[in-house]
Amino acid sequence: MNDSDVRVHLMERFLADGRPPSVAEAAAGLDAPEDDVAAAYRRLQDAHVIVLAPGTLDVWMANPLSAVPTPFPVETEHGTFYGNCIWDALGIPAMLGCDGTVAASCADCGDPLPVRVRNGELRNGDGLAHFAVPAARWWDNIGHT
Amino acid sequence: MLAFRSEEHVDWWLAARRLGRGTSFPLEQAWRLAQAWYHDRLDPSWRRKTPEEAEALFGGIGLTGDFWRLRPSL
Repeated sequence: MNDSDVRVHLMERFLADGRPPSVAEAAAGLDAPEDDVAAAYRRLQDAHVIVLAPGTLDVWMANPLSAVPTPFPVETEHGTFYGNCIWDALGIPAMLGCDGTVAASCADCGDPLPVRVRNGELRNGDGLAHFAVPAARWWDNIGHT
Repeated sequence: MLAFRSEEHVDWWLAARRLGRGTSFPLEQAWRLAQAWYHDRLDPSWRRKTPEEAEALFGGIGLTGDFWRLRPSL
């Protein structure tokens, strides 16, 4: 078992269950020792592949997926998932290769700003995306970009 | 990265929080960014992009300039 195996298993379970697997669940699924999976989770976080909730081994983000509800729910034929931001929300249908609807809203006024992906194309995406933080500093605080 | 109805709404949101402007671009461009960045994420052979690869990807969809630079300036 290498870190790629753990990453792929994590993503597959996240998509199938609607939440990421705990270390114990991933260890059972991979038939691997929990300590090895825990170490892999830490290495994947250090490599900026996943984000763990502070002080825990609980997956918070496995981009583009968020383990906690966000203002970016995405409906797809595979289920409803949460993106970490509008980029990640759009990344969910991009990753799955399917249609999707992001029930976004304007961060300023809260008005609905639904964005639909159909057959690989964006429909009624009239709004804007705004990055507050330059790319080189995203991982200073990945929860605020 | 947040979504806004218009540039005016970006400005109002930033002013209310006393934040400086970052960069904004149409959602159509964000979709192209999402496709380029995430299309292969479920591939077992996926690996994290190097800064050079990420900058090239950004540039390929028109996201250029210092904001998108990941490597130190020479």
